[in-house]
Amino acid sequence: MSVGFVDEEQDPDVRFVRGAGRYVDDIKLEGMQHLYVVRSPYARARVLSVKGGITGDELKATMESVGEDAGGRSTVSFPVLSASYVSYVGQPVAAVLGGDKYEAADKAEEVDVQYEPLKPVMDPERSLESEPIHPGTESNLVAAAELGKDFELKAPVEVDETLRMERIAPNPMETKGMVASYDGSLLTVYASTQSPFSWREGLAGSLGLKEESVRVVQMDTGGGFGSKGGIYPEYVVAAYAAMKTKRPVKWSESRYENLLATNMGRGVRGRMKVYADRKGKLKGLKADLLVDVGAYPLGGGAWTAKWIASQLVGPYAVPKAYATAKAVLTNKVNMGPYRGAGRPEAAFFMERMMDRIADETGVDAAEVRLRNATTRRTISPLGMEAPPSRRFFMEALRAFKYSSRKKKEKVGLSFFMLIPAAYGGESAKLAVKGGRVKVWMGGSSHGQRHDVFAKKLVSEELGVPQDVIDFQHTDTAAISGGVGSWGSRTAILGGGALVEASRSLKAAAKKELGKGYSPARILEGDYEAEAFFKPKDMLNTLGANLATARLTKEGNAVVEEVLSFYDAGKVLNQFMLESQVTGGVAQGVGEVMYERAVYSEDGQLLTASIADAGVIHATEMPKSVVMTAAHRSTLPHGAKGVGESPTIGVPPAATRALEVLLGRRFTTLPIEPEKLWALDVSDGGRTR
Amino acid sequence: MIPPRFEYAAPKSIGEAVGLLKSSGGEAKVLAGGQSMIPLLKLRLAAPALLVDINRIEGLDYIRESGGFLRVGALTRVATLSRSALLERRYGALHDASLTIADPLVRNLGTVGGNISHGDPSNDLPAVLLAAEGELAATGPSGGRTFRAEDFFVDTFTTALAQDEILTEARIPVPPPRSGGVYLKVEQKVADFATAGVAVQVSLGRESECAKVGIGLTGVGPTALKAKKAEGAMLGKKATDRKAVEEAGELAADASSPASDIRGTAEYKRGLIRMLVARGLDRASQRARRKS
Repeated sequence: MSVGFVDEEQDPDVRFVRGAGRYVDDIKLEGMQHLYVVRSPYARARVLSVKGGITGDELKATMESVGEDAGGRSTVSFPVLSASYVSYVGQPVAAVLGGDKYEAADKAEEVDVQYEPLKPVMDPERSLESEPIHPGTESNLVAAAELGKDFELKAPVEVDETLRMERIAPNPMETKGMVASYDGSLLTVYASTQSPFSWREGLAGSLGLKEESVRVVQMDTGGGFGSKGGIYPEYVVAAYAAMKTKRPVKWSESRYENLLATNMGRGVRGRMKVYADRKGKLKGLKADLLVDVGAYPLGGGAWTAKWIASQLVGPYAVPKAYATAKAVLTNKVNMGPYRGAGRPEAAFFMERMMDRIADETGVDAAEVRLRNATTRRTISPLGMEAPPSRRFFMEALRAFKYSSRKKKEKVGLSFFMLIPAAYGGESAKLAVKGGRVKVWMGGSSHGQRHDVFAKKLVSEELGVPQDVIDFQHTDTAAISGGVGSWGSRTAILGGGALVEASRSLKAAAKKELGKGYSPARILEGDYEAEAFFKPKDMLNTLGANLATARLTKEGNAVVEEVLSFYDAGKVLNQFMLESQVTGGVAQGVGEVMYERAVYSEDGQLLTASIADAGVIHATEMPKSVVMTAAHRSTLPHGAKGVGESPTIGVPPAATRALEVLLGRRFTTLPIEPEKLWALDVSDGGRTR
Repeated sequence: MIPPRFEYAAPKSIGEAVGLLKSSGGEAKVLAGGQSMIPLLKLRLAAPALLVDINRIEGLDYIRESGGFLRVGALTRVATLSRSALLERRYGALHDASLTIADPLVRNLGTVGGNISHGDPSNDLPAVLLAAEGELAATGPSGGRTFRAEDFFVDTFTTALAQDEILTEARIPVPPPRSGGVYLKVEQKVADFATAGVAVQVSLGRESECAKVGIGLTGVGPTALKAKKAEGAMLGKKATDRKAVEEAGELAADASSPASDIRGTAEYKRGLIRMLVARGLDRASQRARRKS
C-alpha cells in the first residue's frame, strides 16, 4: 500500500504515522474495567489507615526483582500496595476499578488514606547519616563495593574532581500500561514492554502463580529506554484485579503518573582522582562513587554502583586503579536503567578527567586520549575487559577531520567503550506454514524496528523473499523462553538466534527434502525451529563522538553539531542504525542541557510535566552526522551493539564543547541555564 | 484527559454567558481556547461545576483600529495576531509576542482574552499591554467597564475581573508617528514559558530622544510588571545613550522579583532583564526610526 510518497512495504513505520499502530490503550475487551491507582502524596509517611478500594491489607504481595533489574536482591521488600508506610511521592497505596477511566478516577478520590508525614531523606550525600527510611533496617546503605587495590602514588599531574549526573526521567512517548484478562486458569496480559518474559516471571512471583498460568503478549510499544524492562506495582494490582473480578482490567497511566512513579535513571556522583605524567600518560585512577537508589533497591540499585565502578577505566590503559562505590536509599521513586544504564556515568566521569588532564598538561585532548589508548586486548585493574582501542580512535579522528575542525571550531571529544548486555543470551523462533514464515525473538522492538533486521537475516539465511516473512512481537505462548530487549543486545543476540534458528530450520528441510531441496520448497512445508543464542566471545565495542558548540544571539550556548563514529560491526541496516543513533543524540544533548528530575526538599517532584522534565524539541536538536566503522564481530552475522552508544558518548563530548566555548568548567549534568549564558551573571549581563 | 464531572454550557451571547457565570455563584469557569483551562482540568487542579464555553459567541474575533485604539476581540486566536499585517507594521511588540507564545498548535487555539485574563505572570501578552499603556474592556451583569492594563493584573492567577465578568476586548492606543515596539523573550527550549521576557514601546521626539517609553516584564514577578522607574530613566534620552540604557536595565531588574526555579536562578533572570531591556530599547528605537 502506498501513502503519499511513502511506501508502506518499504517503510512499515507508516503504520504508526497513519495511526494504525496497536498499543495497549487501543485494546477494548468485553466487560473491561479500568484501574486507577491511589498514590502517596508524601515522600515519607506512616500510613495510618486506608479505607476503600483494593488495599495492601487485601493484596499482601511484594515485588520481584526481574528483567534488566534482576540481581538486585535485598533485605528490603517492595510492597505492591503499601499498608504501613510510604517511601516516595506516587507510591501506590490502593486501587479502584471503574467502568471507564473517568469513573475510576472519581472513585479514587473517595478512597480515604490517613498519613502521618515524616521528614524525608532526599540528599544521597546525607542518606547514611540519616535515620533509615525502612523501619527495621540498620542503615540506608544498600550496597558497597571495592574494586582494584588501593595505592599510594606521587605523580607530576594529579587532578581531582567531583562529578555528577543528575536523575532523569526516561519519558518514552507511550506511557506505561497493560490489559489483564483471566479465564479461571490462565492470566493473559497484553503489555507495553521491553520483556514479556520478565513480566511473566514477575507477575507469577508476586501473585504466587505458576509461570505456565501466565501469558504475556507484547503490543506495539512506544519507547521504553529501560523503563519498561522490569515490572511495577501497578501491573501486579491490575492482574490481581482481573483475577479477583473475573473481568478484563486495563491500567494505563497519564504522563503525570509516568513521571511521578516510573524508575528514573542516573543520579550518580563520582569523586575522581587521576594521576598522570606531564605528557598526559595515566599513572593511576581513584574513584569513589555514590548512587542514589531511591526508595527500594529493586531497579538495579543494588548492583549499579559496582557496575559503574567496574568500567571507569573505559578504553584506556592505566597501571593502577582503585574504586569504592556505595548505593544509598532516598525517598524518591526507584532508580532504574535508562538508556546506557551505568555506562554513560562511567564514560562521563572518565572523559571529564581526560579533558582535565589535557588542560593541566597542555597536551591536546585527542592526543591525551590516544596516549592512553591500547594496542592489545586488556583487562583493567578494576576487572573489565576491553578491546584494543588506539587504532579505532585514530580512525575516528580521521572520520571527524579532527585537526582541521579543532582549528576553526569549539570542539569536544569523547572516546568510550560500549559493553552490551550479552549475559544470558537470547532466543528466536521461526515457523513456516502456508507459504509464510513467522518470526519471533525473546525480546523485541519497543521502537527500534527490529523487524527490519529480522526479515533481512532470515531472508538471507533461508533464501526466501522478505515479503513472505511476518515479524511477530514477543508472546510467551509462542516461544519457549526469552530474555528481553535492553543493553544494546537485541541485534547481536536476537539476531544471532535468528541466524541459528534459520540454519537449523534449513538443515531440517534439507534433510527431509534431500536432493529436491530448494528455498522455495521450504515454503511449501511445515517447519519450526527455535534457537537460544549465547555468544562465547567478548562483544565489548568502541565508539567516539565529536561535538561543537556556538552562542545564540541572546548569549546562550548551544550544541551545534554532533558527529558519531561507532564500531557497530557489520551494519544490518544503515537507515535504522542512523535513526536509532539520532534519537540517542537527542537524549544525550537533552541530558547535557535540559533533562533532570528536580525534587523539593519535602520530596515533591517539581518536573512533573514532559516540558518541565526537559525533553528536547527538533529546534534544540543539533545537526547529527552518523558514521560507522564496520569491523565485523565474531558472531555469525557480524553485528555489534549500538543502541546505547549515543547516550554514552554524546554527554562528555557536548559538555566539553560547551566548556571550550564558554571557558568555564562543567562538572554536573545537566548544566544549569545560567552557566550556559555567555554574559556572566555576576556581571549582571551588562555587556551587550 | 480525565477531569472531574462538570456541567457544560455553550451560550450564543455575552449576556447569556454572563448570566450563567452569575447564577453559578462562583462555581463556573470560562472556556475560550482552553490552552490553560484544559490542562488544569486534566490534572484536576481546577474542578468547576460549570464550564461556560464562549467560542460560539459571535463578534469577539477581530483586529481593527478605531477611535484612536487598536482593538482586539477577546476570542481572536493568537495565530491570527501573527498573521496580521497591521500588527506587523504598527504594533511590533504585540506581533512579536504572538510568535513566541508556546507552539503553533497552542497559538491556533489559544485566545488573546485567555492569555490575558488567566493572570499567569509567565504569559506573554500582559507585558505588551503594560508597555503599550493598553486597556481592557469587560462585560458583567451590570454592563461594561474598562480597566487600565496597569490596574488589571492583581496577583498570580488573579485579575481585576469579577467572577461574573468576561473580558471582551484588549486595546492599545494608536501610537504616534516615529513609534516602535518590540517583545523579546528568552526561553530555555522552544515552546517553553519565558525564563524572562521584556516588551518595550517607544515614541521618538524630534531629536530621536525617547518622548514616550513603556517597559513590561514577563515571568519575573507575581504578575507581569510595568517597570515605571526604568521608563522614567529613558525619558528624553536616546537609545544610543549607553549610560541611560544601562540605568534603565538596572531599574527594571530592581523592579523585578523573580523566583529561582528550574528555568534558572533569580540572579540569572535579573541579568536577562538587564540585557533584554537594553536590547529592547535599541530595537524598538530602530523600528521607530524605520517608520515615518
